Amino acid sequence: MNVPYLTRRLLYGIPLVLGVTFISFLLMVYFGPDKTYELIGKNPTAEQIKEVRHALGYDRPFLLRYGEYLRELVTLDLGISDSNGERVSSILIRTLPVSIALVVPGFILGNLLGLGLGLLAAWYRGRWLDKLVMSASVVGMSISFLVIIIGLQILLCTPYGLNLFPVRGWQVHDIGSYLYYVAVPTLALVLVTLGYNTRFYRAVMVDEIERDHIRTLKAYGASPVELLFKHVLKNSLIPVLTRIMFSVPFVLISGSLLLESYFGIPGVGLVTFNAITSGDQPILKAVVGLTGVLFVVALTVNDMLYGVVDPRVTKWASKS
Amino acid sequence: MTRDTWQKLKSDRFGMSGLVVVMIFAMIAVLVWSGLLGQGWSEVTGNRFEGASAEHLFGTNLLGQDILQRTLSGTATAFEVGLLVTICSTLLGTLLGGLAGWYAHSWVDELILWLKGVLDSIPFYLFAAAVAFALQGSPWAMHLAMIVTFWTTTARIIRGEVMRIKEREFIEAARAIGLPGLKTVFRHVLPNTFHILLVQGTIVFVAAINTEVILSFLGLGIKDGVSWGLMLAESSQEVLAGHFGNFLAAGVSLFLLLMGFNLLADALQDALDTRRLLT
Repeated sequence: MNVPYLTRRLLYGIPLVLGVTFISFLLMVYFGPDKTYELIGKNPTAEQIKEVRHALGYDRPFLLRYGEYLRELVTLDLGISDSNGERVSSILIRTLPVSIALVVPGFILGNLLGLGLGLLAAWYRGRWLDKLVMSASVVGMSISFLVIIIGLQILLCTPYGLNLFPVRGWQVHDIGSYLYYVAVPTLALVLVTLGYNTRFYRAVMVDEIERDHIRTLKAYGASPVELLFKHVLKNSLIPVLTRIMFSVPFVLISGSLLLESYFGIPGVGLVTFNAITSGDQPILKAVVGLTGVLFVVALTVNDMLYGVVDPRVTKWASKS
Repeated sequence: MTRDTWQKLKSDRFGMSGLVVVMIFAMIAVLVWSGLLGQGWSEVTGNRFEGASAEHLFGTNLLGQDILQRTLSGTATAFEVGLLVTICSTLLGTLLGGLAGWYAHSWVDELILWLKGVLDSIPFYLFAAAVAFALQGSPWAMHLAMIVTFWTTTARIIRGEVMRIKEREFIEAARAIGLPGLKTVFRHVLPNTFHILLVQGTIVFVAAINTEVILSFLGLGIKDGVSWGLMLAESSQEVLAGHFGNFLAAGVSLFLLLMGFNLLADALQDALDTRRLLT
């Protein structure tokens, strides 16, 4: 354990958290729409306007308002949604499990398949199997997420295709119904991430396979399975884990945003989509601020874990 | 780009077919801009949801507008978004990455890296929503959101490359004859990163076109005019009733253009030997 390294990573996270929250504050609270006239009756007096502006906190100094926003995020006291009067925190707590249940299978499958195909392509580097896998991933990278979703819906959920799965909705009460509703979104998520994942993992594996000790092991007759899983995969764990850590918030957010708004699934993504279309500021500022902070926290934990897993990282970092 | 690179590019069959596809779409865009193609995208020329016919090659949409005209006009929109975002974010990335690399480990560098870290930490679609929210429905909110966030990758790559070039002898020579620092960066360091910018530019272009589609679907994208993203958003209501015109026209065009750019970007990376730098 290298304590100075760990504290430095922790300290590095603080300006990032401040920056993320400051930008969300600036965009959504400070420059956000003025709500005074929505809350006020017709023909208001100057006195009434002043009163409402005071209640909304518009007359307070800039830094104080930013501090207030920070307090809201830290205490999760995020106010009340404009559209249905529910507390934002309880909306998020209610909808988050749905989004996680929706996105997790596709996320795991997309990474596992990408890792598998990447290994395969790297092992047969330059041969036809490699070329086939790499061409397929370029094709996959060229299809828009939206096109994949609409295409799969036509092929699997409508009478114009196989008509096997529900067109939209989320009536989940047991494992069977879960699989029934999660299948098409999962397939869409796998297809949209697979091309990028395969390319990335192949590049990582090619680097690792070309190392001297792998060549020596090969020459000594180590079996491919032993080579790949014991030596190649284990040594490339750091780039693989980094990619997975980094992509969690992005897949969770953009995946759930698109899938939920398209299939009408009641998760955080649909709540956010509705907040975007109706201009529901309390929800938006909470979602943007919280995901930003969570990302920085994940990043910091990730960096700190490196130091624990691989002592070379701390040495290298303290030199530079 | 040297003759050697061009030779390498020319012998890459996939890369050349990508280039041809991109050039065809670019020509369509130019013809739309000069008023020769796709001008009738908003005119009602038929009944609702007509099938493909000689008059309407791709059929018509809900309002009876010709889908072919809309697809052609959408090509120009894709290039407008792609070019604007690519040029602006590449300039910004080069400038900030160049400064960060030249003044590496100073407060300038720290500040730029902090800004990059902050922008990289906010999930993009949420950031775009926040910008649209702050600008209250401005048609440029989408472009701005992309420019403000897409520069970070370019800056990271340029920063690393500038730090490398800085140590080379010709820069030492420039310093020895007393050339001012900033002049050296713009005259002698950054021009040597052009090949990286070319590759990174094609990658940003792909990202911009891809993002426009998603943002238009979310209601954060193109406000006036027509785009493939808007056509796909329209089609999401129509496919359930069996009208595939919008979906096929926009989906296939989008796929072809993205595929062309992806193949071109790959071939450029191989020809310019920048793959190592960009991963």
